[in-house]
Amino acid sequence: MIRIKNLEKIYRTEDVETVALNKLTFEVKEGEFVAVMGPSGCGKSTLLNILGLLDDPDDGSFLFNGIEVAKFNERKRAELRKRNIGFVFQSFNLIDELTVFENVELPLIYLGIKAPERKQRVEAVLDKMQIMHRRNHYPQQLSGGQQQRVAVARAVVNNPKLILADEPTGNLDSSNGNEVMALLTDLNEQGTTIVMVTHSEHDARYSHRIIRMLDGQTVTENIMV
Amino acid sequence: MIKNYLKVAFRKLWSHKAFTFINIIGLAIGMTACFLIYLYVTFELSYDTFHTKADRIYRIVADIKTPTEVINASGPSWAVPPNTKDEFPEVESFVRISGDNLLIRKGDKKFQEENTIYADSAFFHVFDFNLLRGNPQTALKEQLSIVFSETAAKKYFGKTDPIGQTLLVTGDGLPAKVTGVMKDIPENSHIKADVVLSMATITQKFAPGIDSQYGNYGASAYLLLKPGSNAKALEAKFPGFLERRNGTEMKKIQMYPTLFLEPLKDVYLRSTRDGSKTGNIYNVYIFSIIAVFILLIACINFINLTTARAAERAKEVGIRKVAGADKFQLIWQFIGESVMLCFIAFLLTILFSALLLPLFNQLAGKTISTGIFHNMYHVFQLFLASIGIGLLAGIYPALVLTSFKPIIVLKGRFATGTKGILLRKGLVVAQFTISIALIIATIVVYNQMKYMRNQDLGFSKDQMMIIDTNGDPAKKAFQQAVASIPSVKSTATSSSVPGGGNPAAYSEIENIKGELQIANLDLYFVDFDYINQFKIKMVAGRAFSKDFMTDTTQAMVLNEAAVKMFGYSSPEQAIGKRFKQWGREGKIIGVMKDFHFRSLQQPIKPLSMRIVPEGSNLVSVNVSAANLPATISAIENKWKTLIPNRPFSYYFLDEFFDKQYRGEERFGRLFLNFAILAIIISCLGLLGLASYSTVQRTKEIGIRKVLGASVSGIVNLLSKEFLKLVIISFAIAAPLAWYFMYKWLQDFAYHTSVNVWVFVFAGFSAVAIALFTVSFQALKAAIANPVNSLRTE
Repeated sequence: MIRIKNLEKIYRTEDVETVALNKLTFEVKEGEFVAVMGPSGCGKSTLLNILGLLDDPDDGSFLFNGIEVAKFNERKRAELRKRNIGFVFQSFNLIDELTVFENVELPLIYLGIKAPERKQRVEAVLDKMQIMHRRNHYPQQLSGGQQQRVAVARAVVNNPKLILADEPTGNLDSSNGNEVMALLTDLNEQGTTIVMVTHSEHDARYSHRIIRMLDGQTVTENIMV
Repeated sequence: MIKNYLKVAFRKLWSHKAFTFINIIGLAIGMTACFLIYLYVTFELSYDTFHTKADRIYRIVADIKTPTEVINASGPSWAVPPNTKDEFPEVESFVRISGDNLLIRKGDKKFQEENTIYADSAFFHVFDFNLLRGNPQTALKEQLSIVFSETAAKKYFGKTDPIGQTLLVTGDGLPAKVTGVMKDIPENSHIKADVVLSMATITQKFAPGIDSQYGNYGASAYLLLKPGSNAKALEAKFPGFLERRNGTEMKKIQMYPTLFLEPLKDVYLRSTRDGSKTGNIYNVYIFSIIAVFILLIACINFINLTTARAAERAKEVGIRKVAGADKFQLIWQFIGESVMLCFIAFLLTILFSALLLPLFNQLAGKTISTGIFHNMYHVFQLFLASIGIGLLAGIYPALVLTSFKPIIVLKGRFATGTKGILLRKGLVVAQFTISIALIIATIVVYNQMKYMRNQDLGFSKDQMMIIDTNGDPAKKAFQQAVASIPSVKSTATSSSVPGGGNPAAYSEIENIKGELQIANLDLYFVDFDYINQFKIKMVAGRAFSKDFMTDTTQAMVLNEAAVKMFGYSSPEQAIGKRFKQWGREGKIIGVMKDFHFRSLQQPIKPLSMRIVPEGSNLVSVNVSAANLPATISAIENKWKTLIPNRPFSYYFLDEFFDKQYRGEERFGRLFLNFAILAIIISCLGLLGLASYSTVQRTKEIGIRKVLGASVSGIVNLLSKEFLKLVIISFAIAAPLAWYFMYKWLQDFAYHTSVNVWVFVFAGFSAVAIALFTVSFQALKAAIANPVNSLRTE
């Protein structure tokens, strides 16, 4: 599903040049659950940005489902992104002015899906995440665990092939955290590919494989058993 | 999708009510000011454009060169217009117009019609004044034919048909026949009249032969050229035409006119020949600039406040991007939001404008618009402009907001760049520069107004009541009767009073070389008491006196300016010198100290005075201040017995004289109002920005307080950066304002200087206003409990 080769990303300011990704190469197969670990500043976020088609690399190759996307422009990337990728963040990142229902509905709106179908799909996913009763509440009215469930619901509502999760349990207590990890595992078992950035060894154990990064490069890959 | 945008936009606006209020109100105020100015400017520019032949109509004006001066006359001599029509094929028609203040009687109704004109018969052919009744071709053909405006006709005839009716005009009660009723002349016409009499009344009845007089001026004149004619080419033929027709006479009287053609559409705004009676293109420019400035200030607020909140919106942008939005969708979302705000501001602008319009009409001194919705075209333009402002003001914030890297934003590591801050500061400086410059300009305008009002004019205008007898034969008897009223201190008669019009006479005065020098001298007909009555000082010789029999026919008094014009270095030298003027000859008997017989915009011109009882129609009455109403009614009673045929009316000289400054006063008042608006909008913006910056620095303030900072220390810290901006603005505004106001003052012959205190005052008030605005927010932040702000981390 994902195949990157010699990927490079360099941030330049007036007098400093920071190499965020340094000839990074790895592969994620369809249906895999991969955890990416590493210290702060090792390039995890940059990697997630590029995998999520939110940013483009300076050099190297990025095959997404067999298509070279490294040189795609903004519009093409957005098109590919909204059909194939869901995001889950540490800080939930819900829009405060929209209700639970409206937040989850958002990706479907950008996909141009008609209102009746949207309603059906949003309700189905809210049901699955067990937050249907909260559909008309605003994010501030929910607990952290509930907010993250809404965020996961939003990430999966368009049936993406790939979910990118950025420390999804970072802002949750352990029981809520475990619940979210169970949700992700569940999705993975149903066939969704997951790439998760995490600091937590506990969470990483849910994955099939751990990629460890340092200074913009992979250092080791552990296959989980 | 649009629904989703609207939802977010509305909820966002609602949850930040203060911010929304500042943003929309600021914009609405700015747009209202702009819209009202726009109405004013379009109105000024619309003068005389309603005539369908306007592009072919030209006014003939003349510069008349005498051995002494060049006179800028607003019309040619009486003979010129009819003769151009005979001589030049490109002239299709001509209309001469001469103003009058005409007594009209119908039964027991009598009115002194101030807005009377005499016009040639092509009046309704050349101009698009709408004749409702009567035949436009013949209405003004016969002598003593009269056309009324609708309003005037109602005054005399009520509901009965005026056509063919006869009424009595002038003091002699000549019968005039009503031949037409025209629609009231619109406000945006420089030709104004309630009553139009046929020009034949003058050329055949009052002054036969005037049609062939090349040396007699007094009417304005308009030529309608045939389509395709070249006005410049025609103008070039005029010198030859005058030479052929009138060359000998010109040489004899040594007055050489040069004729020019002014396009009709330029007469109101661009011609300088009618003084303050017409508009001024520079005022139009000035107000347009002010409108642009105010709008700019309001838009800057809008951009500033929106980008200041970028950090907050950044998260939403990030989320939308990861949910599949592309950059263009987001840009359109934010532009759409800004357009929506502008649309709300548009609705408010309509409301504000409708409420303020009557006040604005009053301020402008004329009915610019009777109602906002009377011209939907203007409303539509305002709507388009609002949308345009929304687009323009939305673009920059939209670009800023959508340029964020989503992952960085969503991880909360977002920081506003220093570039954005610098831009915001730059915009604040621009706002305050404009505001401070407007404050300075307002003070200078006001100082000049005060200066003009307090300036010693060189004559007394207090408690001076002026009554126009319009030449009634009983005027002498009336004056004597008034003089006998105990509360009347003194009386005098004259042709003119300061601040009003006066004749100018072809004169020959003996100059320093002993020659008779030709000049066009301003002239007052007076009586023996006039100079005393108005407390005009004599600097040489003597005033008119009943002790000298010859004073009534052979004596002239000049002012200092006249004496100087004829080359005398001291007033004494002019005493006893010869004069010839309008058929009279005699000696200069005295020299008056210069007094301001015109407004202070103009330098004091040379003036002559002679005793001419038959030309002295104005009775000036110096009344005692005590029990004025009783005095006035006593005077009115005398009038009713002695001059029953005419309506009684009077005015006070001080008010009459100050009327000349009405234009300036209006200008000053409008200026003041818009300057205040500009400052309010700037302060609104500053308030919003300050509150924002304070919120952003909440944590910093908390830490400082925990570390022991005092409240005043914090207020100081927060106010300082804004204060710096205001001071920079002042440094830019002061020289600019000085330059432009210095230029503006040069238009006045007598003016104040731009005082350094004006700048000190403007600077301090700007600092004070800004400080007050900012410190309010700063104080609120400074006295908040630091624990609360730090716990939010």
